[in-house]
Amino acid sequence: MERPRETPMPTASFKDELVAEMGNLRAFAISLSGSASLADDLVQETLLRAWSKSDKFQPGTSLRAWLFTILRNIYYSNYRKRGREVQDSDGAYARRLIVSGDQESHLDLEDFRKALTKLPAEQREVLTLVGASGLSYEEAAEICDVEIGTIKSRLSRARSKLVELLALEVSAHRSSERPALRRAG
Amino acid sequence: MTRLNPAENGAESDAALDPKVLETIGHALKAHYDDLVSAPLPQKFLDLLAKLEEEERHGEAEGNPNANG
Repeated sequence: MERPRETPMPTASFKDELVAEMGNLRAFAISLSGSASLADDLVQETLLRAWSKSDKFQPGTSLRAWLFTILRNIYYSNYRKRGREVQDSDGAYARRLIVSGDQESHLDLEDFRKALTKLPAEQREVLTLVGASGLSYEEAAEICDVEIGTIKSRLSRARSKLVELLALEVSAHRSSERPALRRAG
Repeated sequence: MTRLNPAENGAESDAALDPKVLETIGHALKAHYDDLVSAPLPQKFLDLLAKLEEEERHGEAEGNPNANG
């Protein structure tokens, strides 16, 4: 039996789609806020808002990008003033990783995480959006409400900064050993 | 509307960094993020959605077509 409805209600499949994106949403929230507990609050608010505004979501577009936009708006309007950046790093870690020219190297994840927290928020955000969560430059630009060129330059600065923080350098010598992890001092 | 090709332009802006270094960072970033994504979700999120869905069903069951508010 058909009932006229004023606004389309979220369907069961919308809920399933939200559940499917929840891991990514939470990962983005953690990356943005740097705090797991704050991230949970953000995700919760985002889910509530997404549910109540589900009729605003355009099927066929990226639900992930839509959710990220909502979460980001909540974060910046409620939890953080725009433009107030995390203090830049006070220097590289006491470790130097030589990336060998002929093999894959893996950073110590803990070192990497520490370095991430030292990036300005806008750089960490772009790394997360484009580098990690698989969104396009266009989507990232829409989420952050900036031009694509801005996304690209932030990404570039973020990578350079990481290289600096992690004291990454490319070894001139080909080596069969695993990438060296040295104490700098 | 910008029509830049992301793949094309991404590479260009990182020209200054060694590809090997970029790859290393890329791997670490992905590993870090995948860890976050795959972390167990708090049950409260699932409970919240279940509750919202339940409320909606409830609303529809009682649903009065003339609900104008």
